[in-house]
Amino acid sequence: MSELVRLSIDQSCATITLNRPDARNALDHLLIREFALAIKQVAKRIESAPNEARAVIIAGEGKSFCAGMDLRAVLHDPVQMGVMLGELATTLLALRQLPVPTIARVQGAAIGGGCGLVVVCDFAVTHPESKLGYPEVDLGVCPAIVAPWLVKKIGAGPARAMLLAGATMNGSEGFTRGLVTHCVDVAALDSTVTDLVARLLKGGRNALACTKQMLNELDGSNDARVAREAAELSAKVIAGPEAQAHLARYFESLQSSDSTKGK
Amino acid sequence: MPPCDDHLVPTHSHRGVFTITLNNPPTKNALSLEMFDALERAVETARKCAQRGETIVVVLRSHGNAFCAGFDLNQCVCDPSLLASFVDRLGKLATSLRTLPAVVVARVHGPALAGGCALVAACDIVCASESATFGYPVHRIGISPAVSLPTLMATSGLGGARALTMSGEIVNARRARELGLVHFIATDEQSLHQLESDITESLIKKGPTALRATKQWLNEVDGTAPDGALGRRAFDATNATIALTREPEATSLLNEFWKSRNDRKGST
Repeated sequence: MSELVRLSIDQSCATITLNRPDARNALDHLLIREFALAIKQVAKRIESAPNEARAVIIAGEGKSFCAGMDLRAVLHDPVQMGVMLGELATTLLALRQLPVPTIARVQGAAIGGGCGLVVVCDFAVTHPESKLGYPEVDLGVCPAIVAPWLVKKIGAGPARAMLLAGATMNGSEGFTRGLVTHCVDVAALDSTVTDLVARLLKGGRNALACTKQMLNELDGSNDARVAREAAELSAKVIAGPEAQAHLARYFESLQSSDSTKGK
Repeated sequence: MPPCDDHLVPTHSHRGVFTITLNNPPTKNALSLEMFDALERAVETARKCAQRGETIVVVLRSHGNAFCAGFDLNQCVCDPSLLASFVDRLGKLATSLRTLPAVVVARVHGPALAGGCALVAACDIVCASESATFGYPVHRIGISPAVSLPTLMATSGLGGARALTMSGEIVNARRARELGLVHFIATDEQSLHQLESDITESLIKKGPTALRATKQWLNEVDGTAPDGALGRRAFDATNATIALTREPEATSLLNEFWKSRNDRKGST
């Protein structure tokens, strides 16, 4: 595994860490591929050694969990863009289908696609000052890939209002609105995740797997067609003149502010 | 002279925002024959403006102390056959709001009950003042709120929709927010005005293509698109409700309700 995503398995728990801290772990094509690979490896390990990875933690190295999609490299290449978004959608589906509980450990920021990772997980732990949300429409982008997951997480009515209104919110508000399951002091992030894992390990492995599978079936999580259509729609909107103009302006503003953050 | 339609539901269009105002305060903006006529025209005009790309946001709001108290029962008592056509028109209005190619923002103060609540449940973003109330107290007049269910079940979730429509309970804005029906709350009417204009102002700055695509995709995802799991049942829900209005139970309960209401009014 290269350095963009780290995978470690210890004490019955697998941790997948996004490791692109200089870009606030923004999801570019390479990172998405490595993330997908890590999930595949975890899935294999669960199958072959069921007592080794009984929970999965998704974490981000550095100040931020994940700043969202990094579209710069593929902005003018609709084909590549479509491939990348398709892989993201498939990867989120694979994350959802891991037969063990998943926990996002969210520090700093989880924006757009990064916040998509958060709501796909079964649990998410953050702190009151973190920055969460889906500002896609502010940039002329359609949050199609995250929409189905957000709908399942917080309900269709609130998801509709959140995605159409765009913008971001802090961790406390994210907790109130159901994006995360735990909101604790930043110093208590790790201990909260550890406690949660300890609690989950007390449950029967098969009972948890069966419950999660049933939940996934009942809420329509397993519909690969939705993931595919979402990626196609997202790519189509980004390829349009409106998104291209918005994003070009956005990237310019990033450069002029000499920032390295991605979107 | 009775007010003309323009007075009942005035509209105006300005900088991408198409505002529709329910304006018959003496009847709490009840949905009467004339009100339906005017509201349907307003929504269709909004649709044309949105299709031409002139409208990005549609605001649905009211004048007076109420958002909308539901059907004009006075007209229904005088002509019981109206009830069926009101149900049909309400169902079509809900579908129409849900499929408008623009973000529909409801700004609610005071009661939004029965048909009024059905209009709210069909909107995309709902902001309300603390004074707003929501609910479907319609079983007592022998009819069912089924016509609102396709959008309500998506908006407030299956459990919430079940509780709200089976109980007929009237809930306040905070409870409605817990149910997913309301999304933003303002303390009073003045701050509600500010809240709505903040939301609207921020929406018109976003990419209209992205907003339209997102709304349409959400309709697909939550099943309220016309061919979706909920959307394609809208017709059945309307027909089931219409069948109920033809039952003697509905007619007698409606008459009883209307009589007791007028008695109460007479005694105060």
